[in-house]
Amino acid sequence: MSENGTTSPGDDPSDQFIGGETEDSPRVEFYGGRGMSAFPIGFFIVWAIVQTALWRIGDTGGLIVGILIGLIVGMFFVRGNWQSYANTIFEGMTQPVAVTAIVAWIWAGMFAQLLQDGGFVGGLVWLADTAGIGAALFPAITFVLAAVFTTGIGTGYGATVAFVGLFFPAGVLLGANPVLLFGAILSGAIFGDNLAPVSDTTIVSAVTQDADIGGVVASRFKYVIIAAAIAFVGYVIAGGAMSGLEIGAEAQAIFLESSEAIGLVHVISMLAVIGAAIAGRHIVEAISWGIVLAVVFNLAFGLTTLGDIVMFNAPSDAPLSEPLAGLPILTVVEEADAVGVTGSLMNGVAGFLELSILVLLIIGAAQIMIRGGAFESLLEWSIENLATNVRNAELTMVGSAALINAIITINTAAEVAIGPYISKIGERFNLNGYRRANILDGQTAAMGYIFPWSGGVLAGYSAMQRLPREYDWFSESMLVTPIDVVPFVFQGWLLVAVFVVAALTGFGREYIIDRQSEEVARV
Amino acid sequence: MSLFSKYLKGWQFRANRPTLEPGSEIDVFVAETNGTSGRAYIGDTELIVNGAGPETVEKQVRVRVTDFDETTATGQGDLLEVVGESSYSG
Repeated sequence: MSENGTTSPGDDPSDQFIGGETEDSPRVEFYGGRGMSAFPIGFFIVWAIVQTALWRIGDTGGLIVGILIGLIVGMFFVRGNWQSYANTIFEGMTQPVAVTAIVAWIWAGMFAQLLQDGGFVGGLVWLADTAGIGAALFPAITFVLAAVFTTGIGTGYGATVAFVGLFFPAGVLLGANPVLLFGAILSGAIFGDNLAPVSDTTIVSAVTQDADIGGVVASRFKYVIIAAAIAFVGYVIAGGAMSGLEIGAEAQAIFLESSEAIGLVHVISMLAVIGAAIAGRHIVEAISWGIVLAVVFNLAFGLTTLGDIVMFNAPSDAPLSEPLAGLPILTVVEEADAVGVTGSLMNGVAGFLELSILVLLIIGAAQIMIRGGAFESLLEWSIENLATNVRNAELTMVGSAALINAIITINTAAEVAIGPYISKIGERFNLNGYRRANILDGQTAAMGYIFPWSGGVLAGYSAMQRLPREYDWFSESMLVTPIDVVPFVFQGWLLVAVFVVAALTGFGREYIIDRQSEEVARV
Repeated sequence: MSLFSKYLKGWQFRANRPTLEPGSEIDVFVAETNGTSGRAYIGDTELIVNGAGPETVEKQVRVRVTDFDETTATGQGDLLEVVGESSYSG
C-alpha cells in the first residue's frame, strides 16, 4: 500500500482534495424535503411544551396522544409508499435501547416501592433529623448520594425512580425545596450515567468511538468532577436560599414520630444492588437481588406483610376465592371496583406502563427522522459549515450531540444515532477516541435529564405522581411541574458548559498522535 | 499506563496546532486527497501525506514526517501503510 514521494514538498494540492462518501440515501421520502421527516418529533415537542409547560398538565396519556397525532399527520407528507413509513416506526420501536430503558424503569419501580413500603423514607427522615441535616443541606446531600448510587448501578433512570420515591418525600417533609430536590436527584443521575463503567451510555460512547471503557471512564473523570464540584456548591447555596413548602406542623410531627431507624435496614438492599452491579452482574439481576433482599427484610422485620407486597382481591363468586380466603395474599371483595391485584410490586410497575408506551412511540418517531434524512441533513450541514477548524469542530460536536439528545427522549438511542457523526468530525481533526467519547457522552448524559420530555424527567415525574397516594401529607400541589426543574439540573448545564470551555481552550484535548485509545472491550 | 495515571492524563490545555517531529512516525486519519497525495489535519496542523490516494481517505495511516514548519503549522510526510479503519465505517 505504501507509495512514497509522488508529490513534491512545494505543491499545494488543496483545491482538488475530495473527502470520502459514506452516507446512504434516505429510505423514506417526504414532500417538502428531508426536513419534513422531523415533523412527528417536532409536533410532539410542541405538544409536550404546550401541555406540560403552558397548561401544566403532567398527564403521560396526553403525551401519548400527542406523539400519535404527530405520527399520523406525518404520514400524509410521505412521498410514495406509506408502508415504508409504518415499517420504520416498527424498526424504531423494536430497538433494544428503548426496551432497556423500560426494563430499568419497571425493575427500579418495584424495588423503590418495596423500600418505600418498608419504611426506608421514614428511616431517612429519622437519620436526617438525628444527624441534624436540615432542609438547606438536604438537596446537596441527595445529589451526592444519587451520584454514588447511579455510579454503582449504572442506570440513571432507575436511580431517578428510586430516589424520587425515597429521598424526595423525605426531603420535602423536612422542608427542602421540591424543585431543587428534584433537580439534585436528576443531577446525581447525570453524574452516574456519565461516569459509571456499567452505564449503557458510557458503553455506547466507548464502542462507537473505538475506545476502551476503562480508559474512557478515567479520561472523563476530569470533566465530570469539575461540573459536580460546582453543582454541589450550587445546591448548598440554593438550598439555603430557596424555601420549602409549608407542610402542616401536625402532619410533620406525626410523620417524624412514626419515623423509625429500622427502615434504614434497606441501605443494605441498596448496597446489594450496587455491589452486584459493580461485580459485573446484569442490571436486571442486580436489582432483582435488591428486590429479594427488600422482601426478606420487610417480612423478617415486620415492616410489611406478604399481603402488602402482593395481594389478589378476588370477587366472592370466583370458583376458588371463598375456599382459599385464608391465604395471606387473597382478599375476597364484594364491590366490583375493588377487584384486582395490588401491593408493592404492582404499584411499583403500574406507574411506568403508560410511560413505556410513550417511549416506544417516541423512539419510532425518532427513527422516522433518521430514515427520512432530517437528522443527516442537519449533521451534514453542521459538518460542512461549522466544523472549519479544530475548535469549531469540537464546538460542533458538543452542539450537535446536545441538540439531538435534547430532541430524542431516550438518550441512549440519541447517542447511538449521533455516534458515527461525532467520530466523523473528530477523526477529521485526529481527535482521539477518548476525547470524542467524552464529548459525546457528556451531552448525552446531560440532555437526557433536563427537559420535560427527557426520559429521566418523565420517569422521575411518573414516580412522583404516586406519592400523594402514599402519604397523607403529600398533596397534588407538591408535585414538581417538569418544566420548572429545567434550570435546576445543575450537573447537566454545568457539564455542557465544561465541554464548551474545554473546546474553546483545549482543556483535556487529546490527539491521536498523543495517545491512542486501547482496544474496545466489546460487551 | 497505571489506572491512577490514566485519571491524571489530560489535565492540561492542548494546542490547536500541535507540532510534529520530522523523522517521527505517526498514525493519522487522512481527511482528503487529490489522487496522489492526501491531507491530514491534526487539530489545525496540516500534514500533506505523499502517496495517500483515494483508498486512504478516512482511513488511519502510518506516516513518516519528513518536514515541519512551526510558524505555519504545516508539514509533509510519506505514507508507510494503512493501519486502521474509521470507527463509523462499520
